[in-house]
Amino acid sequence: MIAVALGSVAATVWLWPRFAGQRPAIMAARLGMIAASQLLVLAAVLAFVNGYFAFFGSWSALFGNGGSAPVSVSAAAAPSRPIVVTGSDLGPVPGGSALPEDSNGRLAAKPPHFHGKKAASPGKMAVAPGLDLKGGAVAAARKVGKILQITVTGEHTGIVSAANYVYLPPQYFQPAYAHARFPVVLALTGYPNDTWSIVRWLDLPSTAANLVSRGKIGPAVYVMMNVSVALPRDTECTNVPEGPQAQTFLEQDVPQAVEQTFRVQTGRAGWSVLGYSTGGYCAAKLAMMDPYQFSSAVSLAGYYTALEDSTTGSLYGGSSAFRQENNLDWRLQHLPAPPVSVLVTSSLVGEHDLAGTLAFLHLIRAPMSGYSLLVKQGGHNYGTWVRQLPQSLEWLNQRLSPAVRPAQPTPRRSP
Amino acid sequence: MGLTSPALMAVVAVVGAAALAAILWYWPKLAGGGVVPVLARIAALGVLQLSVLVLIFLIVNSSAEFYSSWSDLFGDQSGGGAIVAGQANAGQSPIGSRSLAPVTLLGSSAVAVPDRPSEAGGHLQTVRLYGQLSGISVPGYVYLPPGYAAASQAALPVTVVVSGELDDPSSSYGAGVLAGAVASQIAAHRIAPMIVVMLPAQVGRHDEGCLNVPGGSQADLFFTQDLPQIIDSDYRATPPATRRWAVVADSSGGYCALQLAMTSSQTFAAAAVPPGSYTAPPGPAVSGGSPQIRAQDDLSWLLTHQPMQPISVLFTGAGPGQPFLSDARPPMRAGQIGLAPGKWQLSRVFDWIGATLNPPAVRS
Repeated sequence: MIAVALGSVAATVWLWPRFAGQRPAIMAARLGMIAASQLLVLAAVLAFVNGYFAFFGSWSALFGNGGSAPVSVSAAAAPSRPIVVTGSDLGPVPGGSALPEDSNGRLAAKPPHFHGKKAASPGKMAVAPGLDLKGGAVAAARKVGKILQITVTGEHTGIVSAANYVYLPPQYFQPAYAHARFPVVLALTGYPNDTWSIVRWLDLPSTAANLVSRGKIGPAVYVMMNVSVALPRDTECTNVPEGPQAQTFLEQDVPQAVEQTFRVQTGRAGWSVLGYSTGGYCAAKLAMMDPYQFSSAVSLAGYYTALEDSTTGSLYGGSSAFRQENNLDWRLQHLPAPPVSVLVTSSLVGEHDLAGTLAFLHLIRAPMSGYSLLVKQGGHNYGTWVRQLPQSLEWLNQRLSPAVRPAQPTPRRSP
Repeated sequence: MGLTSPALMAVVAVVGAAALAAILWYWPKLAGGGVVPVLARIAALGVLQLSVLVLIFLIVNSSAEFYSSWSDLFGDQSGGGAIVAGQANAGQSPIGSRSLAPVTLLGSSAVAVPDRPSEAGGHLQTVRLYGQLSGISVPGYVYLPPGYAAASQAALPVTVVVSGELDDPSSSYGAGVLAGAVASQIAAHRIAPMIVVMLPAQVGRHDEGCLNVPGGSQADLFFTQDLPQIIDSDYRATPPATRRWAVVADSSGGYCALQLAMTSSQTFAAAAVPPGSYTAPPGPAVSGGSPQIRAQDDLSWLLTHQPMQPISVLFTGAGPGQPFLSDARPPMRAGQIGLAPGKWQLSRVFDWIGATLNPPAVRS
């Protein structure tokens, strides 16, 4: 694409003398040449920016696959496994033993290519159904943990969400934690986003690894999911009438699938949800609407009203009452407050949802508890959220039930 | 000029337009051969391209508010904040400010089983249940099987009965009759002990099929989220995730029970309801003015438009049960049985529930 763009510019420069007349037709031809080269360069830049910030991961994510909504379910039985590991060799694990991560000190901007799941061989460590680690890989995982690429199939909703990631901390593979069940943080992207953004731009696994190694937080499993279940549509984790049941998928199907696949806790004390932007709204919403699944939530620069725009399409079946039920401010004003803790973040300068965030915070009442993290300045971007993440994870850690190691015999103190 | 200011956009737009006009107008002067004119052409196109790209960036950035300021874009990413606990809201909203107990015990009586000692029947409690999330408070009954009080008793499966006739001692769906039917099946060792929670189909002002009414009562929330929590808080019951919760209904609660199983199969693994087509909820329209929500409220629509749910459905008694009986596919199962004669009509239904919730370890 870059070559085509440069070629068009070169052609314009090369052919320039042939269009040096002043007749209208020649003038029009000049304009056409300029427009063509400008557009091609623009397209190349857009493609680069899209790749860099990982807004859309594929053409189908950008334009839709032309198929029907995922809610239309074929007669074929769902796969027996709710989570299928589609990639386990994703390159260096960020935040491993010590930062930076690899020889370049940088992570790839795009999801790395992977080599599919390896054949299970006897006597190896089972990480997930269908994925066993072999000797060297086990040793590596014990040091730096593991990131797996997964596809989740919703038992209740039929929604299939691919190219999501799970970060298993080093402790997950260590013998001392062999029987421990880990707490889970469900992390949601913004919209539109490729899920890898949580690894590459929010730095979630490396930040968590760093905090764990410094003893600031305990180890947890991070399940990183795309907030949209039907890209390019912005589904706002809403159960769309006659459409994708995005809320049920994220709030019930995903936790159930994770609990069935990994060594994680099953009670609400061991589950929290975190997200930025649209994912922030969803984090607060999922915790408020299913507090028996999630006991806490972090909303980085989220919003708290029920959005509907050209990217979402009709989300509420034309019902203003149903839309209100998806408005978190409205819920706090009209329904009993749920027993959850929510941390909301914003910036005093640069974040246009500051007022909405403060308004939401003001509506929170017992048994719900609200916390805020406001930085002086920072826009609606990763630079701001990366700064807020360490404190957010420490806040979550205080609310999550820890991965309990089997009781060690207490050394007897000699008098 | 601020990064998001209209003035900056205007300046860049003017620069771009001027560059375009200049290129078009002075084109012939740059048409010569040689290095200098060629470089001049490239520079001219570059200036135009740059101003167009900058303008697009400014517009997109301004509308999406990615970067709020120059310092945000170039560098100053420093400056943190402290986490502050929100102030306890003094002005309490009228809703939910009460702190009600999940279970209020109003009375308890022994359940008699013919030809058995009095302690063999278990107990029937009269209760009021309060759902913290839905704010719904509802009267009901809880049957506890014999031996429930024993400390050694393991957590028990739960059957929720939704009936409009709980207070009618002559109905087979009366609370006392239901408790007697379950007690006698347990005493005869036909089913393993279970807890039976009996609730009215109408938990709000109207019978609305236990749906969440947009802008109205959140009955679905009560049954699927509050109720497991309520039972867990006061009784030694297995959680729904063990797939050992069932729901049973009479004709007034049939839609409610089947709706709960089909839309909340993570809570209810089995449902026993009178046969019917269940195309619409009882009572007034509850779809919030949305044709799409009304379409979803047709349970046969759900059968064809969502994945088959992991539930077992039993139609109790005679009557048409289509399309469920013919269209259910694994993991959903659907069947039909006749009712037993006499007062304890539901004995066979409870046998089925017992077998469904406690599948035999070895299948013959």
